[in-house]
Amino acid sequence: GAGQDVGRSCILVSIAGKNVMLDCGMHMGYNDDRRFPDFSYITQNGRLTDFLDCVIISHFHLDHCGALPYFSEMVGYDGPIYMTHPTKAICPILLEDYRKITVDKKGETNFFTSQMIKDCMKKVVAVHLHQTVQVDEELEIKAYYAGHVLGAAMFQIKVGCESVVYTGDYNMTPDRHLGAAWIDKCRPDLLISESTYATTIRDSKRCRERDFLKKVHETVERGGKVLIPVFALGRAQELCILLETFWERMNLKAPIYFSTGLTEKANHYYKLFITWTNQKIRKTFVQRNMFEFKHIKAFDRAFADNPGPMVVFATPGMLHAGQSLQIFRKWAGNEKNMVIMPGYCVQGTVGHKILSGQRKLEMEGRQILEVKMQVEYMSFSAHADAKGIMQLIRQAEPRNVLLVHGEAKKMEFLKQKIEQEFHVSCFMPANGETTTILTNPCIPVDISLGLLKRETAIGPSADAKKPKLMHGSLLMKDNSFRLVSPEQALKELGLAEHQLRFTCRVHIQDPRKEHETVLRVYNHLKGILKDYSVQHLPDGSITVESILIQATAHSEDQGTKVLLVSWTYQDEELGSYLTSLLKKGLPQSTP
Amino acid sequence: YRDLHTFELQAPTRLIEWVRGNRVCVAGYGQSDGNEILQLIPPPTLLTKETQGLCPERDFKVECGGFSERPVYSLKYVPDTSLLVTSGPPDSSLQVWQVSAEDSDVIKSVSTIATENGTGQSWAKIATISARAPWVLHGSTLDRVQITEVESRRNVYTAASRGSEELSTLAFLDCNTLLLCCATGRLCLADVRQPQSLVEALSVPSAPCSEQWCMGTRHGAQGLEPSSQPVARLSSRGLLTLTDLRKTSEFLALAKARVPSPGSEFLCVSWAPALEGYLAISGFDGTVHVYNTQSWDSSGREVEPVFVHKGHAFGGAGGSGDPPLVTVHTWHLQKPRTLLSAASDGSLHVWDWVEPCGKC
Repeated sequence: GAGQDVGRSCILVSIAGKNVMLDCGMHMGYNDDRRFPDFSYITQNGRLTDFLDCVIISHFHLDHCGALPYFSEMVGYDGPIYMTHPTKAICPILLEDYRKITVDKKGETNFFTSQMIKDCMKKVVAVHLHQTVQVDEELEIKAYYAGHVLGAAMFQIKVGCESVVYTGDYNMTPDRHLGAAWIDKCRPDLLISESTYATTIRDSKRCRERDFLKKVHETVERGGKVLIPVFALGRAQELCILLETFWERMNLKAPIYFSTGLTEKANHYYKLFITWTNQKIRKTFVQRNMFEFKHIKAFDRAFADNPGPMVVFATPGMLHAGQSLQIFRKWAGNEKNMVIMPGYCVQGTVGHKILSGQRKLEMEGRQILEVKMQVEYMSFSAHADAKGIMQLIRQAEPRNVLLVHGEAKKMEFLKQKIEQEFHVSCFMPANGETTTILTNPCIPVDISLGLLKRETAIGPSADAKKPKLMHGSLLMKDNSFRLVSPEQALKELGLAEHQLRFTCRVHIQDPRKEHETVLRVYNHLKGILKDYSVQHLPDGSITVESILIQATAHSEDQGTKVLLVSWTYQDEELGSYLTSLLKKGLPQSTP
Repeated sequence: YRDLHTFELQAPTRLIEWVRGNRVCVAGYGQSDGNEILQLIPPPTLLTKETQGLCPERDFKVECGGFSERPVYSLKYVPDTSLLVTSGPPDSSLQVWQVSAEDSDVIKSVSTIATENGTGQSWAKIATISARAPWVLHGSTLDRVQITEVESRRNVYTAASRGSEELSTLAFLDCNTLLLCCATGRLCLADVRQPQSLVEALSVPSAPCSEQWCMGTRHGAQGLEPSSQPVARLSSRGLLTLTDLRKTSEFLALAKARVPSPGSEFLCVSWAPALEGYLAISGFDGTVHVYNTQSWDSSGREVEPVFVHKGHAFGGAGGSGDPPLVTVHTWHLQKPRTLLSAASDGSLHVWDWVEPCGKC
C-alpha cells in the first residue's frame, strides 16, 4: 500500500536476504477488505512468520498501524514487531477506538477483536531513540526522531554495510510541542520518504493560529460555546498552550475546560515520554505540571449545561462516541455555538458527516438532530513539504531515494528535482510494484600491517578521501577476510613459491665464435637499451636487468648461433621485447 | 485587513502571473541555474468570491513545475493555449514552455525564440495575446521590438526604430495596438498594421538624477474600450503619471508617492481590475501601497495611500542581512480588494484590505 496512494502504508524491503515489513496501515476510505494491504504480495503459500524477519511500525496513526492486529492475528504472524515506547503505549488505544466504531457502530464482522489487539501487542518489542537493536546476528535497526506526532520515528535498517532508512511520516519544522525530525549522515543505500505534502506550500502557522483564535474569540464574545473534540495526545496540547497564551494576553474571562480523563491520561503519557517533546515543553514541564494552566480547568459533565460562553476540549476526536458526542448533542441546536474539528475524521463518524456538510443527523432511536451550530475545520497536522524532503535528503545523504504516499503524476517534478540536486536515482513505485536498487556494497577486509606499510610506501602519498589501489592476496577463512602479502599468504598456507621461467631461442646467422657473437649482441643491446642495465658477465652471458642471454652454437649448422633468452614471469614484457628485438637480427657493422 | 495569508516559497520570485484565470505562476531568478517555474493552484478560499474563515484547504498546491537553466525575470501565459513564454538574462531570447497538467506535472521546455543580440542586450520584456494567433510581443530595447508567432516562431511584425533606450514594460492594448514604455519614461503607441508609425505620449517630467520608469495598464471590465483606461507610469523616485491614450498631449493626473528610498529593478505598478480608479505600487522597500486615483489632479502633489501592506518587512528571520524587498505584486482578478505580493526573502502574501473610514 501507499505507493502512489494516500492511506494504507505498508512497504516490504528485502535487504541482503532479510525481509522487513515497514508499517501496516489501514486505508480510511474503504469499508471492505480494500482497507487492508494486500498481504498476498508478500508470499502466496509460505508462512509470513518464516518469510519476514521483523515488522517495524513508525507511529500510531491508523494509516500506519491500523491493519496490524488483522495482519498478526487474522492473517498470521508471530515474529517481532518493533516500535517506539510511546507508539506501543498509544497504538492499542487507537486500535480499540477504531474497532469500536467499525464493529459496534457500523456492525461489521470481518474485523479484529479486542483480544486480538491485546495478543498483537504482546508481540511488540519497544525501542529507544538512537538505540541499535539487533534483530538477529546480521540485521540491526535504529530509530530516529521524526517529529510529526508523539513517538513517531524514522527507522534505519542495516544488514552488514547495506542500509535503508524509512521515514514514516515526519516533519522538518518544530512546533509548539514536538521537535523537528533529525537524522545523522548515515548515507543509506536507500531513503524511503513520504511525499504527500511535497506539492503543498503551506499557509504559515501564525495565520492558521490567528484564524483559529479569531473564531474562538468571536464565538465566546457573542456568548456562544466552543467544542473542540480532540484525541488525548497530539494537537490538544498545542491548542491548549495557544489558548492559554491568548486568554492571558487578551484578559479573557470565559472558562476553558479540558476533560478530566484526558488530563490524567495526557499527563501520564507526557511524564512517561517527556524526552519525546521539544525543548520548550521539557523546560516548562520541569517548572510546572503540564496541565496546570491558569485558565484551563478540569471539566465536569454538569458544566455543559452552564449558561454563558465556554471552550471545551473533549474526547474522542471524531465525535463518534463518549463525552465529545454528548456535549455536541447538547450544543448542536444553538447557532451561537461552534465546533472546531482539529483533524481528519473517519467515514461513518459524526465528525465526518458534519464536515461533509450534513446538518440533519440520525441518532440512536431514530432521533433527528438538527445541527445549527457552526462547523469549522482546522488542520494543524505536520508533514514535510518539498523543502523539508530536500532537507532530510541533505542530512542523510542517501544513494537512492524512493517516494511513497502521494499521487502518481504529482511526483514527477519532485523526482526530477531530487535527481538534479543530489545526483541520485529517485523511484516512485505503484502498489504491488517491486523496485530493485543496485547497491555497491563495501566489503570490509582486514589488512596486515606489513602489507599496509609496504603499499603505502609505494607511489605518492594518498589523499585520505580518495580510494587507493593496492595489491595483496585475499585470504578467506571461515567468516573472515584478510589481505596479506603474497609471501605471508604462502607461509600461512604452507605452500612453496613457484618460479616461472621462460626461455626463448633466437637463431642468428653468424659464423664467428660464440664469444664474438656474444660481444656483438652485447654492444648492440647496449646501444639500444640505454635506460637499462646491460651487462657482459665473465662467464660469457649477457644480462639485461634480470634477463639472461646466452649464446651457443647450433648443433648442426656452425654458421648459426642460438641465443637463449631467459626471463622470469615478472619480466614478461621486457623479455618479449628483447626477443622480438633480437629476432630482427644484428646490425651488419660490428665493432 | 479582512484577511491575510502568508506563505513561504522555496526560492524568491519576481513575478506572479495569473494563468487561465485560476492558476498562479511564480519562478526563481537566482544566479545559478536550476531555477524552478511553478504553476500553483491557489487555496479554495482564494478562488471563491466570499471569504471563508477556517477552510480545510488553506494551502497553495504546486500543480506542475519546470526547470529553467537561466533566471526567470518575466513569464507570460499565452491565452487559449497551454504554453508559457519566459525571458531572462543573459540575453534577449525567449523560452517557450508546454504545460500539460493532466499527463504529468512537469513543465517542459519546447522551443526557444532567438533574437539577434547586439552589444549590451539585456533581457526581453514580454506581452502575449491570442487574437489572430498566439503572439508574443518582445524586445529589450526600443529598436528591437517585434511580434513573433509563438508556435511557428515566425516574425510577424517589427516596430520602426525610434531610439535604442531600454524598455521597461510592453503591453497589447488590443489586437492591433501596442504600448511600449521605456525605462526613461518615454511612452510610445504603435499600430501593428502600420509598422512605421509610432505615436508618442507626453514625456514624463525630467529629473536631475536618472530615474527608471515602468508602466501599468488596466485590463478592465468587459465592454470598456481599452483605450479609455488610463495608463499609469511609476518612477523610481515615486512619481506617478496617468495618461489618457485618447489625449496623449497632456497628463490626466500627476502625483508623488512618498517613498523612503529610490526604487530598484523591482518597480511595479498595477491597476485593480475590479475596483475603478485604484492602483498599487511596490519595489521601494518591503511594503505595497494602494492608492485611490480618483481624487488626483495634475499638480504633482504628494498623495497618501489608502492602505499600506507592511507584512513583508516583518517576515523572515530577524537580522539576517538586508530587509526583504517586495519584488512584485498583482491584483486578484475577481475579488476587488485582494492582492498577492512576493518579496526577496521568498515570502508570498495574499491579503484582502479594508478601506479605512468604512467606505467599502
